Amino acid sequence: MNLVGLKKIANGCAGSRHSRSRRVLRHHRERFELEAESTADNRRDYRSMGTQKIFARRQVHKQKADTMDGTTISRGFRSRRQEQTPKNRLPPGQYVTTDFPVLSAGPTPQIKLGDWTFALQLGGSLLGKWNWAEFEALPQTTIKRDIHCVTKWSKLDTTWQGVTFDDLLKAVGLMEPPAPYIMAHCDGGYTTNVPVADLIGGKGMITTRYEGLPIPPAHGGPARLLVPHLYFWKSAKWVRRVRFMEKDQPGFWESFGYHNYGNPWKEQRYDGD
Amino acid sequence: MTDNVSDLVLEGNAAAALVQELFACDITIAQTQCDACGSVEGVGSLRQYAAPMGAVLRCTSCDSVLMRAVHTPHARWLEMKGARYLRF
Amino acid sequence: MTATETAAQPVRRLEWQLAQVREIVVETYRVRSLMLHVPDWQGHLPGQHTDIRLTAADGYQAQRSYSIASPPEDELLSLTVERVDNGEVSSYLVEELRAGDQFELRGPIGGYFVWTVAMDGPLCLIAGGSGVVPLMAMLRHRERRNGHAPTLLLYSSRSPEDVIYRAELDAMARRDPNLRVVNTLTRKQPDGWMGRRGRIDKALLAEECFPPEQGPKIFVCGSTPFVEDVSGFLVELGYDPLTIKTERFGPSGG
Repeated sequence: MNLVGLKKIANGCAGSRHSRSRRVLRHHRERFELEAESTADNRRDYRSMGTQKIFARRQVHKQKADTMDGTTISRGFRSRRQEQTPKNRLPPGQYVTTDFPVLSAGPTPQIKLGDWTFALQLGGSLLGKWNWAEFEALPQTTIKRDIHCVTKWSKLDTTWQGVTFDDLLKAVGLMEPPAPYIMAHCDGGYTTNVPVADLIGGKGMITTRYEGLPIPPAHGGPARLLVPHLYFWKSAKWVRRVRFMEKDQPGFWESFGYHNYGNPWKEQRYDGD
Repeated sequence: MTDNVSDLVLEGNAAAALVQELFACDITIAQTQCDACGSVEGVGSLRQYAAPMGAVLRCTSCDSVLMRAVHTPHARWLEMKGARYLRF
Repeated sequence: MTATETAAQPVRRLEWQLAQVREIVVETYRVRSLMLHVPDWQGHLPGQHTDIRLTAADGYQAQRSYSIASPPEDELLSLTVERVDNGEVSSYLVEELRAGDQFELRGPIGGYFVWTVAMDGPLCLIAGGSGVVPLMAMLRHRERRNGHAPTLLLYSSRSPEDVIYRAELDAMARRDPNLRVVNTLTRKQPDGWMGRRGRIDKALLAEECFPPEQGPKIFVCGSTPFVEDVSGFLVELGYDPLTIKTERFGPSGG
């Protein structure tokens, strides 16, 4: 690669063979020199330290008063809370991203569709089990929803396709859910608990397509639970079993600092919120 | 008290920081033994996951969870049931 | 990784110290190096990082970790920071911070991801984006100490504008016949670019890295997917996992 032409500033340390000095004399440095000119009491000070010459500015900013406990205040630093419209779509404390960040509690499982099965259980007994072809043959629903991660990003208008909980219950011949809670069990050992009331009536599904394409493994493919009205850690990746429970029990994050229910509109992020 | 679970993308080496902030000494050079498979390794070599929600440190041999750490506005959590010991 | 492979260090208590910004160096359009005076700094090893803490006027605090870019031989401590979209702390450090400002810093941390000239054998450094920072500390240390170990830096960047330390690395490689720097550009290449394109894959590693029989010490640093991909390839190519040290800069986007 060719060297970018290095502009030498007249009062630079010509003759210093140290790359550190030359690096400092970069073409963008003018911006900081201009800043320095505008600040009172500023002087540029060349100090030789052994074989190395460095440019140093005198400290010109008086730091604001320390806090009561002596912690230093960082001039000009403030918390970032983006003001995003439309306000009524964003739960409190969230901001919109166009990215789709990946967060996993473990390595991405490599699952072959030929080996994949999904099961509904009640206690120890099996209500239903499907392989991939059978699952794909179940009634498919496509929904468009906003999703909200507890780490404060929200992604609007995401499109998912899969099998709703209502259709799963119908497929195993149940008119009513057999218990009030479920625990989702996933490849890799992740678990999360959800009240059944938050899954029926079209509120939850087992999804296999995102934006019309198979869900990539890093995002939970081949299939993940989708409960978009709760924080996205509840939309468990790599789901394999949904087990109905009489009593609620906390899953992986719910038992370790995070809120048991996770309603973004009430900002229920953590245990104790 | 810090409230830094908010950032979208991690900046820097943050996953282990959630465990490190609970220890007075550099945890990355401490040795630990996986309770599931017995393998011994430095904490710095464990595979790290789950940041920024928390830190999940897994055995490089068998992927079992050795440690978890979470920092919420209400509490700091540390679980080490997957690790038999820490040796500094 | 066994303890015998880490540099011997005392077990020290970490305390918050004051870091004063002496100079800010523009590395790329979104990367800055902060040159810091830390009066009570006890020294560090190449590859280690620090925690920094910022406090707003209303008491709000944020804490992050950044790798040390300077070698232990340098007087000032240098942290190289990349501005991340929506990054609360990195945006402040890259856009707002000025010489004369100060913040709190704690370290050094990370006795595991460390290389010094005392370690024998060829050295293979593999960087994705801002993952080059701790590896640069190793290279600067190696140069300060006139290290002769055959060394490769394999450095993946999106475009020529994203290559951090570009001029310095070119100059280092020209000065030192035992150092090779191989850049690969994944998204955009300049006209007439004869170098590598695309991500680091198994074939590129097989061509460029010292073969496993030579027992190179390998350090991989970058985003989590980058590190996992590269480590996976290296293991498939026959490198002993115990010789591969990794440092991840968090989850991916998109």
